[in-house]
Amino acid sequence: MDSITSAASVVAAGLAVGLGAIGPGLGQGNAAQGAVEGIARQPEAEGKIRGTLLLSFAFMESLTIYGLVVALVLLFANPFAG
Amino acid sequence: MLKTANHPPGEEEAVNQTSLDFPVKAARIMTLDSLDPKNKDPNEEYVQLQLRIFRTTLIVTAFAGITTIVFFDVQDLLSLLFGALLGIVYLRLLSRSIGQLGKTSSSVSKIQLLLPVLMVLAVSKLPELHFLPSFIGFMLYKPSLVLQFLLEP
Repeated sequence: MDSITSAASVVAAGLAVGLGAIGPGLGQGNAAQGAVEGIARQPEAEGKIRGTLLLSFAFMESLTIYGLVVALVLLFANPFAG
Repeated sequence: MLKTANHPPGEEEAVNQTSLDFPVKAARIMTLDSLDPKNKDPNEEYVQLQLRIFRTTLIVTAFAGITTIVFFDVQDLLSLLFGALLGIVYLRLLSRSIGQLGKTSSSVSKIQLLLPVLMVLAVSKLPELHFLPSFIGFMLYKPSLVLQFLLEP
């Protein structure tokens, strides 16, 4: 792999993780805040709120995982490496 | 010296009887409350949901494994099962950290994100494993979540 390709791969990996984690991070923070407030207001609905939170977290975090996997592929299994 | 309220003798007995009856009545009410299906443990529902999701994930993994062994080869099956195992562990860690949210922890931990890292590292180091089947296996928990979301009563 030549130096320009490896430098571009490293920069792209950083951007993939960094930019890919912004949206899910904000969303997870908002969701967790709402869930904790909801549990504090209605403790009897704790199970249902936590279940909904689990589903939404799993879907949100998969976006982070996509960016992470792209970054790791660029770093460890780069398809552009000659 | 403490002063007690001046009750007539009959009324004082009634007050004492009421105060003696109170714990018995409270215990009876609590027992009846615990028998009421509406007053079950609120976390019980979450535990049941987790068990349903894990069961559905196992069924989806078995279905995907059979499909892989029919249409592809054993190496792809191995990669798919490796990814599925990591996906189940990931979901377990995520559900545990969500279960602790608001009780012992004020934020959801990110330790489960190490599992996809581990998956990619293992796939890049071991020639027996392939990337795409492992990644598909890792993501097999999502169909079960969608099924739970659709089938939830």
